[in-house]
Amino acid sequence: MFKKAWLLFINTFSISMTANSGYAMLGVIKNRFVDKYGWFTKEEMEDFIALAQSCPGPIACSSATIIGYESCGIVGALAAVFGVILPPFLMMILVTFFYTFISTNATVRIFITGMQAGVCAMLLDVVLGLFSGVQKMNKPFYYVMIILSFLYVRLTPYSIFFLAMICIAIAVVKTLLFTKKVEESL
Amino acid sequence: MIPVFEIFLNFLKIGLFAFGGAYAVIPLIEEQMVTNTKWMTFAEFSDLIAIDELTPGPIIVNSSTFIGMKLGGVPGAIAATLACMLPGMIIALTLIRLYSKYKEIPVILEAIRVLRCMSVALIFSVLIKMFMAAVFPDGFALKDVSYLSLAMVILSFFVLKKYKVNPLLVMLVCGCINLIASFII
Repeated sequence: MFKKAWLLFINTFSISMTANSGYAMLGVIKNRFVDKYGWFTKEEMEDFIALAQSCPGPIACSSATIIGYESCGIVGALAAVFGVILPPFLMMILVTFFYTFISTNATVRIFITGMQAGVCAMLLDVVLGLFSGVQKMNKPFYYVMIILSFLYVRLTPYSIFFLAMICIAIAVVKTLLFTKKVEESL
Repeated sequence: MIPVFEIFLNFLKIGLFAFGGAYAVIPLIEEQMVTNTKWMTFAEFSDLIAIDELTPGPIIVNSSTFIGMKLGGVPGAIAATLACMLPGMIIALTLIRLYSKYKEIPVILEAIRVLRCMSVALIFSVLIKMFMAAVFPDGFALKDVSYLSLAMVILSFFVLKKYKVNPLLVMLVCGCINLIASFII
């Protein structure tokens, strides 16, 4: 069992060091654990990834938790998650040291200011990508939710966390009403 | 120095509600760190997002480590990073146990869909703020508009969309253009 946990750690660590985005990581994870080690079938892995997407936080961590847990319990889950977060964690500690030293430098400031323009463009690309995901569901309800959430965050001083609770409550009510209707029609 | 426990609690909250992909965490960090606790300025927050893009690893892990480190040194970084992923881990473990019994849970699926809609709106809202800060660096006035930034945003978006270039490259080029421009003007 500890050998398996060690293998999990080594693999997630090396994947995390080399892959840049969460989605790029998923591809490599699939590759290692399905094709190379044969611990899971392709279908199982697809289920895991779908589940991981239902969890908050980075998809890399939630998929590592699930894969680790399914291979050797809690120890595996912890080993896999630490493998995923250790490389960016260590790296960011170094980056923070550098940042505190160079962020006040005038040249560095001009460079970072320029980068902000690129960040805006990238965020716009991200928003449009997420929006096209909503479009695929093709229901006016979800568009209304986007508009209402936007109005909430722009116009009210209340917390996003409160908004998230409202969203969850709406989802629960909607599912309950919908399933009731199905039962009635039966 | 801010107490490690307080850092832990704040990031627990952020980790719990970061639904809908890597970028969903950005508005949460902005609200919690800039608006609520005032542990960061908006300028620092904008820097952080740029740094997140420069460095590999999930944005939420990078941001937590960075902010934790700034607020409480290495212990703060450890507390923030652990806290931001703990809720996700616990929920993942609960779901995988339920999953083997029920396969599909309609309430959870619906909640995820609605939260994803919320994420679109929230990220868009932060985007507007960052855009305003980049294009109107000295406050909102038509005479203060930074045409260079505006042009860079539009061009970068075009390049990202049309040629699917690595965003990291686009940002580095933007930084260089700004440097060169500052030498010329």
